[in-house]
Amino acid sequence: MSFVPSGLPMDNLSIYLKLGWRNLCLHPLRTILTAAALGIGIAALTFLSAMDDGWMQQIKTNFALTMTGHIQIHAEGFEDSRKLAQRITDPQAVMKAISNISGIQTMTRRVRVSGLASSAGANAGAFIYGVEPEAEQRLSRLATFISKGVWLPAGDQRAAVLGDGLADRLGIGIGDKLVLMASVPGGDIASEVFRVRGLIHSGVMDVDDMSVIVPLTTAQQWLGIGQAVTDIVIRADSFERVTPLAGNLKTALVGQGMEVLRWFDIDPMAQQWADFADAYTWVVLLIVIIVVLAEVLNTMLMSMHERVREFGLMSALGVTPAQVFSMVVWETVILVLIGGFSGFMIGGGLSLWYGEYGIDLSQFAIAFSFMYMDPVIHPLLQADSVLRILGAALFGAIIAGLIPAWKASRLEPASALREL
Amino acid sequence: MSDVLISASGLTRYYESGELKVAALDGVDLLIERGAYVVLAGRSGSGKTTLLNMLGGLDRPDSGSLVIAGQNLLTMSSAGRARFRLCHLGFVFQAYNLIRVLSARENVAYVLQLQGVKKKQRFQLADQWLARVGLQGFENRRPDQMSGGQQQRVAVARALATEPDLVLADEPTANLDSHTGESLMDLMRKLNEERCTTFVIASHDPAVIASARTLITMQDGKIAPVETL
Repeated sequence: MSFVPSGLPMDNLSIYLKLGWRNLCLHPLRTILTAAALGIGIAALTFLSAMDDGWMQQIKTNFALTMTGHIQIHAEGFEDSRKLAQRITDPQAVMKAISNISGIQTMTRRVRVSGLASSAGANAGAFIYGVEPEAEQRLSRLATFISKGVWLPAGDQRAAVLGDGLADRLGIGIGDKLVLMASVPGGDIASEVFRVRGLIHSGVMDVDDMSVIVPLTTAQQWLGIGQAVTDIVIRADSFERVTPLAGNLKTALVGQGMEVLRWFDIDPMAQQWADFADAYTWVVLLIVIIVVLAEVLNTMLMSMHERVREFGLMSALGVTPAQVFSMVVWETVILVLIGGFSGFMIGGGLSLWYGEYGIDLSQFAIAFSFMYMDPVIHPLLQADSVLRILGAALFGAIIAGLIPAWKASRLEPASALREL
Repeated sequence: MSDVLISASGLTRYYESGELKVAALDGVDLLIERGAYVVLAGRSGSGKTTLLNMLGGLDRPDSGSLVIAGQNLLTMSSAGRARFRLCHLGFVFQAYNLIRVLSARENVAYVLQLQGVKKKQRFQLADQWLARVGLQGFENRRPDQMSGGQQQRVAVARALATEPDLVLADEPTANLDSHTGESLMDLMRKLNEERCTTFVIASHDPAVIASARTLITMQDGKIAPVETL
């Protein structure tokens, strides 16, 4: 009497794993070398990905919080025209209307205008910002970039803070007089005199070479716009909340002639930088994955060719081609899991360590600051990135394992058994 | 149920060597009854192993027909032939061919696992068969920790553990000393008598040939008249 085979695939999982593990242990040096190559690759992938995520976070944070904010509300069409004619005439009402929307950490008002900055001996084009000195410090990082002097002092209506590059071009320093001129609604040119109280150095060219910051109330009087502002700038609780928050703001302000723009709507370049850096990193990751998987493929092919007779024997014993195929794939998976897990532990550990203490790349600080990056990078280990890497490695390894598995499953038992 | 286990007709198999076409099997007709103990004798290259491979579904003839246990092997897919081997056949090879990373018990239990036998039962059966072939106490040894004779006994236990209709043995004593070889043949003959399992053994070992109940002599891919002893 013969037994009838039943439940073959699942019941055989344990034997696949046992055979896979023991076959790997049969050649410990080869297994260790392959797993080490895989581990180093996964460690590099994990660390590079964490670096990439850290960079991205820095670029986004620095761009959004240096000046722009997460979201800006303008009068409809202002972002394109930049004309004071398109202004928010009752900003208090707008702020009250949106104050109960969740996701807003803080908000402030600004007047933004292009004009001419003049000193006794020179003049230069400038972006002039009228800001609320106290509220601005809660929203942006401008005040933290003071390199000389002080941030706009409370009650000093004639104070001005400007970028150190612009100050150099104008040949002025702390305490010097600065004259600002700009077009006002109606077409006239108005000017106002300020005293330089502070210089900022952010590393961002637009800010350092072009910006002048003055108190909001003085700017409003000088430009003759009453209580009106050009921007209501919002800092969200997090980057993840920016898009849903912008949607809620649009809903709340519908029909009021307002435009609601996210940070990357205002300057798509920053997002493009982030996307480019992201794409570049993934190209590197792809190359590393290909190299590592070539190693896995090589090992599994060697192993398969050494065991042709064994596969012929298994076939003779009644193992179907599909089962031989599964067995080799499982062996590959075990190898990848060993290398992948050890690599992830190393890469993840390094990412957490440097995430805490940072990687100092200040030698390249100028290039980094241009791209809104800090000279000290803090890798950021994100679950979705890690899952993507491990998933890609596992998927790739299975693909690499398919070739030897397919070859093993296609062996003719009689000729395989003749192999030495 | 017919007493005929194997029915082969006109089995032909050619091998190509350069431009030369050599008939390894040349129109072999064969009828073997259940419970038979058959020895295929003949010189090297006479076609014994080729015929054994055909009977085991390990190779396909260029022409002819082959029915074993009522099933036509030549119309089956690779997977179908593998399942047929699992359910109906057992193999003993000249080079033992145990799985080197598995212990004696695991080697025997492996085919039972393929049949879906539960863990506890398959290990019990494996231990019983190892004891039956005189290897009690060797259950946890791996092939490289056993002698050739011991490994071949494990192979016999593995071949018989699934209670197949037919056991095919290819030069089972070729790598064994004469005493161990005789002992193995005694065991196989005893199992044949006790369990009525059909054995077809290819060998040119005189001791094996002497143990045959049915002797088939092969020459140049053909069968000489069958001789029942």
